Amino acid sequence: MLTGLAVVGVARFLQQRQDFEDSTARSYQVEIAARTRLANGEHPAAARTVILTQQHERERLRDDIGGETRDTALLVGAGLIAGLTGAALLFSGLIASMRRPLEELVEASGRLAAGDLNTRVKIGGLSETASLGTAFNEMATELQRRAGERDQLETMKDEFVLTASHELRSPLTSVQGFAELLMLERDKLSSKQADTVEIILDNTRHLVRLLNDLLDLARSDAGRLTLKPSPTDVASLVEDPVRTMLSQTQAKDQALTQAIATGLPPVNVDRDRIRQVLVNLLTNAHEYCAAGASIHVTASGNAGGVELAVSDNGPGMAVDQLDHIFERFTRGDAGLTQHVGGTGLGLAISKSLVELHGGAISVQSVEGQGSTFRVWLPALTGSGAEEPRSGDLDRAQAQSREEAL
Amino acid sequence: MSTRVLIADDSETILLLLRTRLEMEGYEVVTAADGVEVIEAIQRASEPPEILLLDAMMPRKSGIDALRELRAAGVDTPVLIVSAHQDEMDAGAATDVEVSGYITKPIDFDQLFARIAELTG
Repeated sequence: MLTGLAVVGVARFLQQRQDFEDSTARSYQVEIAARTRLANGEHPAAARTVILTQQHERERLRDDIGGETRDTALLVGAGLIAGLTGAALLFSGLIASMRRPLEELVEASGRLAAGDLNTRVKIGGLSETASLGTAFNEMATELQRRAGERDQLETMKDEFVLTASHELRSPLTSVQGFAELLMLERDKLSSKQADTVEIILDNTRHLVRLLNDLLDLARSDAGRLTLKPSPTDVASLVEDPVRTMLSQTQAKDQALTQAIATGLPPVNVDRDRIRQVLVNLLTNAHEYCAAGASIHVTASGNAGGVELAVSDNGPGMAVDQLDHIFERFTRGDAGLTQHVGGTGLGLAISKSLVELHGGAISVQSVEGQGSTFRVWLPALTGSGAEEPRSGDLDRAQAQSREEAL
Repeated sequence: MSTRVLIADDSETILLLLRTRLEMEGYEVVTAADGVEVIEAIQRASEPPEILLLDAMMPRKSGIDALRELRAAGVDTPVLIVSAHQDEMDAGAATDVEVSGYITKPIDFDQLFARIAELTG
């Protein structure tokens, strides 16, 4: 449109130039005619007047065309500037129309990467950005479908473990119950029979522990491991499991001692669950350490919370073992485990439980010198106490299926 | 006069185990295979049981559902729910039915006898 103005200007300039040249040519013709008459001596006065008039006329024409040229140049200049500005505006509009969909794509990719699989973009802009948007949306739909399938499989697995552990419990109740019944009449059994029943009972208890642990892990995976936290005094939290373990450690001639710092803040924990963690750590120390070993439990303030530590001077662990110690079915040295009654799930469950409390668990160990397991729990802070939480931290998406069994 | 205990479980083996252990402790035992039989047994009994020991999950009618009907009919006998695991206890606790306590499988009989003695005074 504005470039049109420049074109019009140039056309007008050419037309004016043509007019000027035509008029000038006519003026010269008239003057030449007048000079011919003057040379022939016809009406010399009139001829001189004509010559002068024509000279003046051409001067006027030159002046005019000069002004016209200036005006036209201005017009052309203005037209060019306007045209360039228009082109720039058009171009920036074009860039904007490409940039907006691209920016939306970048932002949507961020959301998708952060796990919002419902993310879709509006299809628009140039055909290239539009097809990019279409491809993005198709990818998001495919991701969502696969995530849905995976969640469904996870749910099926969790349901299977929960159902299986439920179904196994009834026959186990019978096996354990009847074996106990036999042991009630131990005096009527031969010592060989009594030993046999004792073996049945030992293994049944092991199966029950395994079942309980599997159930805890399945619940944790399904986001159904729920805590019932309440403000808890740290001293009693530590003393209770230590007292529980005393008879076992004494039977193995192990020294079990505790040191609880004074003035520790209370912690907001599910007492039974933290007890489970400590009993697990103490049982591990008891079972992996030889007779006569020392097990020491401490509670101290650390980094805005409380640190509970279980140390022993037992066999310790190699570095490559430490890396996997909190994983499922990972156990200490195979040569030792034959004497150890654990399920290989205790530390994995302990980690889940501690993290569910907003805490952390760690281990330090030197092979041949001993191990120290540390559990850090956040202190109960005034009104800002930790909300009771449900679910496994590793699987935030599990929050969508919190329904009770 | 011995204390009468009604036990309900869909497993005959568990019923046998419970009956044997309870009778050894001197209790009088009535059995039921599901919630429907629990209600029938209580309606039929000339002398109602002093405590009910109900499995949480049973076919036809669960222990919790049977208990809800009994409570609605004005039966206030103490009840211990025997449940396979925590999730069932949570489900039971989520209902409005009044329960005296929970016993988990496998059964700790010392704990069970202590609870029964405590509830039947």
